[in-house]
Amino acid sequence: MAEALTRSEFIGREAPSTARPFLLFRRPTAKTGLLGWLTTVDHKKIGLMYGAFATCFFILGGLEALLIRTQLIVPNNHLVTAHFYNELFTMHGTTMIFLAVMPLNAAFFNLLVPLQIGARDVAFPRLNAFSLWVFVAGAIILNVGWFLKAGAPANGWFGYAPLTSKQFTPDISADLWTVGLQVLGVSSIVASLNFIVTIINLRAPGLTMMRLPVFCWMTLVTSFLLILAMPSIAIALAEVIFDRHFGTNFFEVSSGGQPVLWMHLFWIFGHPEVYILILPPMGYISEILPTFARKPLFGYPVVVFSGAMIGFIGFGVWSHHMFTTGMGTVATSAFALATMAIAVPTGVKIFNWIGTLWGGHLRMRTPMLFALGFIWMFMMGGFSGIMHAAAPADYQQHNSYFVVAHFHYVLIGGSVFALLAAIHYWFPKFTGRKVNELLGRISFWTIFVGFNVTFFPMHFLGLDGMPRRTWTYDADMGWNQGNLISTLGAYLLGVGLVVYLVGMIWSAFKGEVAGNDPWDGRTLEWSIPSPPPEYNFAVTPVVRARDAWWYEKYHGKEHAPEPAPAAAGHGGIHIPDQSWYPLFAAAGLLIAGLSFADYSLAGSITGVAILFVSVYLWALEGPGGYHVHPEGAHGPAAH
Amino acid sequence: MDVALPAGSPGHGSAQSRFHIYVQIAMILAVITGVELLLIFLPFPKPLLITGLVLLSAVKFTFVIFFFMHLRWDRIFCTILFFIGLVLAGGTMWALLHLFAVKDSIPLTFQP
Amino acid sequence: MSQAAAATLDHHHDPSTATGIPNKKLLLWAFLASDCMFFGTLISTHLIYRLHPPPDNPVPTQVFNIELTSFSTFILLMSSLMMALAVNAIQRGNLRSMRSALLGTILCGCIFLGCQVSEFTTFVEVKHVTITNSIFGSTFFTLTGTHGTHVAIGVLWLGLMYIRSFKPAGEATGRWMLRNVGHVLVFAAAAGLMFVFVVPGLISLFVEGEALSAFVHHTALPIGGEIAALGALAWLARPAGPVDFSAANANDVESMGLYWHFVDIVWIVIFTAVYLLEYVFAAATPH
Repeated sequence: MAEALTRSEFIGREAPSTARPFLLFRRPTAKTGLLGWLTTVDHKKIGLMYGAFATCFFILGGLEALLIRTQLIVPNNHLVTAHFYNELFTMHGTTMIFLAVMPLNAAFFNLLVPLQIGARDVAFPRLNAFSLWVFVAGAIILNVGWFLKAGAPANGWFGYAPLTSKQFTPDISADLWTVGLQVLGVSSIVASLNFIVTIINLRAPGLTMMRLPVFCWMTLVTSFLLILAMPSIAIALAEVIFDRHFGTNFFEVSSGGQPVLWMHLFWIFGHPEVYILILPPMGYISEILPTFARKPLFGYPVVVFSGAMIGFIGFGVWSHHMFTTGMGTVATSAFALATMAIAVPTGVKIFNWIGTLWGGHLRMRTPMLFALGFIWMFMMGGFSGIMHAAAPADYQQHNSYFVVAHFHYVLIGGSVFALLAAIHYWFPKFTGRKVNELLGRISFWTIFVGFNVTFFPMHFLGLDGMPRRTWTYDADMGWNQGNLISTLGAYLLGVGLVVYLVGMIWSAFKGEVAGNDPWDGRTLEWSIPSPPPEYNFAVTPVVRARDAWWYEKYHGKEHAPEPAPAAAGHGGIHIPDQSWYPLFAAAGLLIAGLSFADYSLAGSITGVAILFVSVYLWALEGPGGYHVHPEGAHGPAAH
Repeated sequence: MDVALPAGSPGHGSAQSRFHIYVQIAMILAVITGVELLLIFLPFPKPLLITGLVLLSAVKFTFVIFFFMHLRWDRIFCTILFFIGLVLAGGTMWALLHLFAVKDSIPLTFQP
Repeated sequence: MSQAAAATLDHHHDPSTATGIPNKKLLLWAFLASDCMFFGTLISTHLIYRLHPPPDNPVPTQVFNIELTSFSTFILLMSSLMMALAVNAIQRGNLRSMRSALLGTILCGCIFLGCQVSEFTTFVEVKHVTITNSIFGSTFFTLTGTHGTHVAIGVLWLGLMYIRSFKPAGEATGRWMLRNVGHVLVFAAAAGLMFVFVVPGLISLFVEGEALSAFVHHTALPIGGEIAALGALAWLARPAGPVDFSAANANDVESMGLYWHFVDIVWIVIFTAVYLLEYVFAAATPH
């Protein structure tokens, strides 16, 4: 069904290509080299690029963190100035969330979703490329401040008004932050729309929603969260931008504006955002544990339902970030209750993962180590989270290092551990080589110890009164030992991550060659060669059960096989054409964003014009496409 | 997958009959707009006016999405998808308005 | 494409997808769900700031021209009708009807925008309510301006779709692209002149009682330009052989239609929440 893309009457017909097409509609054809990568629409290449960019920004964010921790290693340190420290913690947060973890998840959406649903690509390949390049544009806008006198954004990753107003931040740093995030929002929304349509509409025959791999379900829920939450921050950012550029009064107190409105609109986005960061990792874990326990996921329908519930309830808890703003008893209690409620589906998932392990034949490879680490570390983060949910207790914890401990346990112990597991697990599929197991284990233990040494003391620092975002602290506060240990732990964590990265790079060149299915996996991506061919599946699979590949391997012959699927057809396999316009459109958006942040009308108009013309030509050039005829693509029923 | 049309309408999903439905609905929408304009000048009690106006605009809204936007004749999933966004937006708006309406949230500069 | 051939296309069902819903349609509906949250938060901002306004805030009922706004609401509803008829026409393969219905939609859209331009100008120049001098001004202009921008983007999209329906069958050539660009520029001139100058000018004359001499002074030149642009459009629309646009493109027109109708339903909400309800509350608390 998915392969019949070419048969859809709703896609323009291919032009019969005898003559060369008109200049503006000639499609780039390079499959390798710089142009091949810049104009690709192949989800696998796009996924790898998301991963590469994200890794670079993860390193940048990590360096920012190490500078923060070094500044705090001893009391009254003056390694960096106070303003630079503000830039560091702002950019560390913004970079890690928007430029590292989110695009790493996007990398996996791109790499895995079409493979796991038996499709040849996503529903809108050029739109997919556009998302990637707009992400790069947003990343540039956010980081260009490092090279300017005004400096990088220094208003905190959550940019509270009125600090972001022209009065309190007159320089360009706040403009770069607001415009940069706005551009990133476009990328996220567009990508999510693409994945929603892909998962709903491009599933292989027999792949019902309840046979979908849990990772695909989590991608679907995350995509819904993104398209529904990002508009809120888009409006909030627009209001700050309007205040700065056009003199409006949204957060201008003297004219009746209320800065607390920013907080509400930001956190209406911000809370679903943390579920956006954690649900895909929960998806990786739900794929990895069954493989290394050699057992199906325990309670699949409940795990899926819990994921959806977390997403849904996640829209109703945002003001738990605002317990100390004086909202009144009713509002505070309502949000506290909702926050406690959300622990239930989360706990359910944890019990199901444990149930998956129980009685299984456990193989303790590196991905499994990271996955087990995830379960334990994420639980600990969850416990401190539940402590925050009690509003009276939160009055003590809010804005202290206790919060820093909480979210690093869920973000590193949760998201990053799961990502490290996933990278290690799917590395063979996309590079054709297995990761060196010894280096993997060394990196795991170093990271595990380093992470805990860094962040566990922060619980105590917080309860002992150390506030967040402080540049220095006095020697007689009782915080010296905690900070010293934490900083040393941070260096150990850094070493662990370096070992992990070195392991990946070494394995890419010298790792043991992997076949299709090095882990004895359960889902469809393991049924095709490593790395996969451009068209993914020579013959679109027909799915007969959950864990489709496992079923075919071990139970496929028990039941009469379905009639052989229609061959790829006399026309061959349809491959979408590459295109220039997603890249050009993103470039237009970049020019417009930078110009607008710099208050340049001419540049903004130029950028928008480039964007508009590129989108118009993109629409006119049509999907295009051509056919390939790989060997073995034809089933026995072929002509 | 055409849902059965009301008994009164001729034909079953044929495009020709849709033309008339669209025009009839447009007329209804125009009349409702006129009624709304009239209503605000009438001395009815406030709750009644508010309810009336909200209801009338909800009727217009429903007509446009189910008929002009075709939801009535499309797969139910399209309706579900849209209503997810609509309900969430409505709920968020309701929550925000309540948050800002409570006594604790009234700005000090406000003079009732 | 003949009517008979068009009948074989089921516009409700795309067999190449798992659900039968065409991909573009599904994409648009998901986008509209997202846009609900977008406008929802923007409308919320406006309403929040209407709860406890500062003492020197303008009084909306003394600023609005509710009759004009009702008229523009009616016009937008009629544009929705035109849009539905355009989709209906192309689904039956009737290209000419689709083109006229699209032009009708565009005309209504431009009248709506013209009313809005007139409204904004009056607010700023006569009522002294600007986007910067009050919280009401900030929220009102941002909200209705954002909606108006959505309408303008819609008018542009409609225009480009209209022009696309003239692409000759066969290979795309440089000559066609040139003619295409010319067509787009003429369209942009016609639409732009219409809603920036002509409609506001006519409103000044007929609604606000502007003197005829002043009207001629302000609006004669734009009207002349408009007539010229419309003439050029008519000339460009003359039949010139088979075109690469038929019932197979109905999905694209329908998807665009979804966007247009959405902009209309957002206005239905704005008209009630921002305009009409002010009269109900103002009546209860006389100033």
